[in-house]
Amino acid sequence: MLLELSEEHKEHLAFLPQVDSAVVAEFGRIAVEFLRRGANPKIYESAARKLNVSSDTVQHGVEGLTYLLTESSKLMISELDFQDSVFVLGFSEELNKLLLQLYLDNRKEIRTILSELAPSLPSYHNLEWRLDVQLASRSLRQQIKPAVTIKLHLNQNGDHNTKVLQTDPATLLHLVQQLEQALEEMKTNHCRRVVRNIK
Amino acid sequence: MELSESVQKGFQMLADPGSFDSNAFTLLLRAAFQSLLDAQADEAVLDHPDLKHIDPVVLKHCHAAAATYILEAGKHRADKSTLSTYLEDCKFDRERIELFCTEYQNNKNSLEILLGSIGRSLPHVTDVSWRLEYQIKTNQLHRMYRPAYLVTLSVQNTDSPSYPEISFSCSMEQLQDLVGKLKDASKSLERATQL
Repeated sequence: MLLELSEEHKEHLAFLPQVDSAVVAEFGRIAVEFLRRGANPKIYESAARKLNVSSDTVQHGVEGLTYLLTESSKLMISELDFQDSVFVLGFSEELNKLLLQLYLDNRKEIRTILSELAPSLPSYHNLEWRLDVQLASRSLRQQIKPAVTIKLHLNQNGDHNTKVLQTDPATLLHLVQQLEQALEEMKTNHCRRVVRNIK
Repeated sequence: MELSESVQKGFQMLADPGSFDSNAFTLLLRAAFQSLLDAQADEAVLDHPDLKHIDPVVLKHCHAAAATYILEAGKHRADKSTLSTYLEDCKFDRERIELFCTEYQNNKNSLEILLGSIGRSLPHVTDVSWRLEYQIKTNQLHRMYRPAYLVTLSVQNTDSPSYPEISFSCSMEQLQDLVGKLKDASKSLERATQL
C-alpha cells in the first residue's frame, strides 16, 4: 500500500535534499520529539539560523517529516512500500535510505504514541487487597463477618483513579472463576482461528 | 441493655392479664415480630378482631415497647436468661415469659440477619461481566491486531439506591495480573478460616 503525498507535503519535504544527511537525521530526531512532547519553536529558530534559512522552512521540513513518519507508522506499511512511496519525491538514494531507517527505528514508539489517541475507557493499572472481619456494628454486636477490601487503580487519559470496594468471600470466588473463564477464551479454537486469519 | 421507661411501662401493661388476655398477648407479640421482620407487613398488623376491645393507644404503646425490646435484645444478642430476668422484672408470669422466649427463638435468625444488614459499608461488588474483543484498527492506528478485555463490576451502594458500575479495559497480561491478585486474596482467606 503506497502512501499518498499531497503537493503541499511534497513541497515541505523538498527542503530535505538541500541539507546534508546529518541535518536530516537531526530533523528526524526533532520530529520524534515533536510527537512525544509537542512543538518547540526555539529549536526551529536556532536550526534556521544555523542553516541560513527562514524558520518557516525548517518548521515545514520537520512537520513534513513528522507526517511522513506518522502516516507510515499508522498504516504499518512495509519497507518496500515505504521506499516506493518516497521514490516519487525524487530524492537521492542516500536520503531515501536515511528516511527508511528513520521510519524503521521509530515506528514502534510512534505507534505507541498514536495508540494513546484512541477513545479509551479507564484501563486497569493495579489491584491491592486486604482481608477484614467485621466484629460489630451499631445495629448488631458480636459478629464475625469476613470481607475483602479492594483498591482498584485505574488510568484514564493519564489520570490515575482509585476506587475502594468491598466484597464477600463467595463473590470473590465467583469473580475469580468468571475472570479465569475470560482468560481461557483466548485459548479456544474459535479465537485462535480469528487471530490466525485476520492479519 | 438500656431501656426507656416507656418500654418498661408498655411491658407492664402487657404483663397484666386484665389488659391483655392470653390470646391478645400472643397476637400482639406475633404482630410485633411481624412488623419488624416481614418486608410486606402492612399497617393493619394490629387490626385483628381479637384485639379490637383494647384501647388503640394502649395497643400502639405496647406494640412499640415490644418491638423496641426485641430490637435491643437482637442487637446485644441477649440469651434466654437475660430475657427472662427482664420480663420477670416487668411482672410477666411464667407462661408469658416462655411464650416470649419461644417466639424470640423462632425469629432470632431473621432478626440477626436484618440487623446485620443495616449500616454503612463500602460499595459492594456483586458481580462481574466481561467482553473479549480483538482490536483491528482505530482512525489513528491501523493494523493493531491485539486482543483486549472489557471488564464491568456490578456494585451496590448502601448510601444510594443506584447501582453504579465500574468498567475498565485491560490487556491479557493485565487481566492475568488482576486474576492472580484476586486468587492470592482468596487463598489468604482460605488460610485464615483454617486458623
